[in-house]
Amino acid sequence: MALPAFIGRRPTGAYRRLNPATKLVIAFATAAIAFAVREWTGPVTMLAVVLVTAGIARLGRPIVKFALATIPLVISILLVNTFLFPGATDVLARVGPFTATGTGLAAALQATLRVVAFALSVAVFSLTTPTDDLLSDLERRGLGRRTIFIIGSAIGTIPRMLERAREITDSQRARGLDTEGSVWRRIRGVVPLAGPMISGALSEVEERSMALEARGFSASARRTTLRTLPDSQTQLVARWLILVATATLIVASLTGLVHLP
Amino acid sequence: MSLRLTDVGYRYAGTTVPVLTGVSLEVRRGQVVGLVGPNDAGKSTLCLVAAGLAPGSIGGSLEGSVLLDGRETRELRPHEAAQRCGILFQNPATQLSGTAPTVYEEIAFGPRNLGLSVAEIVGRVDGAVATLGIRGLVERDPHRLSGGESQLVALASVMAMRPAVLVLDEPTSQLDPAGTALVGRALARLATETSVAILIVEHKTDLLNGLADDIVVLDGGRVVAAGGASSLLAGDVLPAHGVRRPAAVSIRRALEAAGLGGRLTGGDGDILAGLAE
Amino acid sequence: MGGQFSTRVITLIPVAIAINIVLGYTVQSVLKLPIYLDSIGTILVGVLAGPLAGALTGVLSNVIWQYAPGIGGGTIGPFAITAGVIGLLAGLWGRLGVYRSRPASGTQLLLAALVGAALVILVVLPIVNNQTYLDPSVGGFPDWAVPAAIGIAIIAAIVVAGFTYLRRDLAGLWVAGAGVITGLIAAAVSAPISAYVFGGVTGSGTDVIVAALRQGGADVLNASLGQGFFSDPIDKTITSFVVFIILASLSPRVVARFPNGSRLVTPEATA
Repeated sequence: MALPAFIGRRPTGAYRRLNPATKLVIAFATAAIAFAVREWTGPVTMLAVVLVTAGIARLGRPIVKFALATIPLVISILLVNTFLFPGATDVLARVGPFTATGTGLAAALQATLRVVAFALSVAVFSLTTPTDDLLSDLERRGLGRRTIFIIGSAIGTIPRMLERAREITDSQRARGLDTEGSVWRRIRGVVPLAGPMISGALSEVEERSMALEARGFSASARRTTLRTLPDSQTQLVARWLILVATATLIVASLTGLVHLP
Repeated sequence: MSLRLTDVGYRYAGTTVPVLTGVSLEVRRGQVVGLVGPNDAGKSTLCLVAAGLAPGSIGGSLEGSVLLDGRETRELRPHEAAQRCGILFQNPATQLSGTAPTVYEEIAFGPRNLGLSVAEIVGRVDGAVATLGIRGLVERDPHRLSGGESQLVALASVMAMRPAVLVLDEPTSQLDPAGTALVGRALARLATETSVAILIVEHKTDLLNGLADDIVVLDGGRVVAAGGASSLLAGDVLPAHGVRRPAAVSIRRALEAAGLGGRLTGGDGDILAGLAE
Repeated sequence: MGGQFSTRVITLIPVAIAINIVLGYTVQSVLKLPIYLDSIGTILVGVLAGPLAGALTGVLSNVIWQYAPGIGGGTIGPFAITAGVIGLLAGLWGRLGVYRSRPASGTQLLLAALVGAALVILVVLPIVNNQTYLDPSVGGFPDWAVPAAIGIAIIAAIVVAGFTYLRRDLAGLWVAGAGVITGLIAAAVSAPISAYVFGGVTGSGTDVIVAALRQGGADVLNASLGQGFFSDPIDKTITSFVVFIILASLSPRVVARFPNGSRLVTPEATA
């Protein structure tokens, strides 16, 4: 007797084929470098890297959605930093009582690039790596069953809870507790939303924990691996190289050993 | 015997009033015992005690002896108790781990926790799937099952632990009639095709009619009656303790009272049992 | 496996994480209120199960939220550090028995409510009267800051006193205190992250405050700090009250089974 075929399912596609750990290292490295290597070099190069990986993985449309989601934040960053950057004197323009400064604009753009690079890096990772693939691989590498369960269960519970929350806000809207109304109205809407959601979720905790015990969750044996995601020597070497390079770059940049624009 | 409670008393942690007093009952291999009684009789607590979850997982103080396949539950760690006695609760949603992408992997959750070999796991999952007749569900997403299907998958994942005893605490109370029928049929198969000792708490005595060999009536934390299912279900003890008789039995009694009984039953009340479904 | 990470706690944490994310998302993006309300789960786990469990809940909530398809994205990830600190503090308050019910009545209760109100006003006064905050050339607050602060202080005082009085429970004061301290520390931890990583803004409603402070002359870090010292204590105190209400609504039998259970339940409650 053998495991059915659908258990051994493997991801296909250019970038998706990579082992989850590899994709995780890439995502982590791009985010870390984008934030830690100051000025322009870090964010610009990492944004380029992210866009390239997105291209390889053919993530055109979904990536655009993630990028659009960062727009409110980007607008906020641009406006507040360009016009209200303290201590800047190189004035670009005056709009009413506000003055736009070059330093402010530069800082704003850098921050924007960092944020977008980070958000897209995470997006590429989550779009190319199904949760179960990631968790199976991490568990096989030794991450404890309790952490794996916490992450897997949380990610699984969120969609259902979001649905419930949506139903509650919809029914509230129908009853006049407007989600677009005055601030007071919206505050009043929080309690009937939060109350049932929280109490419903908590009431199940005791029984869930007993159901877990009934399935031997607290046994001390090493949990059997059913799914093995493909990995290769090349990827292993690449992961270590990337990590070392990232650490070096960050240290060099933070200590001022290397001056990058 | 597989499950034997002798003079069992139990008190929840931090309370002074015992919920169970002097309870003795026995479920042998291949036997099905139905547990009935009014609300707050202590039936759910008895289930937890039988499965070793009380006091093991929830604390409290236990008196008397609870033997699972010869071992005292006091001496068993939670995962050891789980391999001797499986337990199923009412709410289908809480029974599944929620972390498996397919039903097959959900059923394999328990055996994986025990660190069994892949071959052993495959054998157990296939066995559980076959016994409960859910081959058609193995590739499905556990989050998208009906209530009845969820309970079947939960039952399969408990059976994959290969327990000698199975305790069910009102497994159909949150299911619609279709789900109830599904679970009822699966339990009947379990009873006939395996030698698992089954203790089942049910308000729907219709389900027990034909499934249970013996019935135990619990009221106020004590056993007030015990005996063969057919006689107890037909007798007056059940109503006296707030438990409704199965519909088939009620109909038969009404017909007999009206003098029509003999002409409408086709041996063991089969026709009436079919009407009641 | 036992202690802070028993099976029961392991089951609670994912539920708490989901509550954090769903409530936080709904309040910020759907209802668009200027509070976060994304730490209820973190503080609940910290109080029930201890500092490490609370910190883990906070960190994972932020990481998973960033990663979650559909509602992820934005600035949440890096603030995992703040969330971890909030969870740690909650574990501390739980251990110290801050959330234990202390029923009171009559004059003792009235006195406590008044003291609470007085304390709130006293805490705000030094901020209001401090010259450095009023002098724009030093890097201060705009004109409306002072009346706004006074108004908020009065409302806060009424809320704290009212909560304590109406629930007949002295714990209201302790919980409010814990909430304020947690909020201040959270703000202090968040400000550098916000300032250096995101240029001082987070894309939420509170950015207006940051803008106003910068308009008054504050630099990037101080503007973020100023915004944080305003928003976080309010948000964390509300959250702490909510957690307190949740704990009160749970059966004492169930609460007692958690690691901090003995410090949360008064002995008479379970008899």
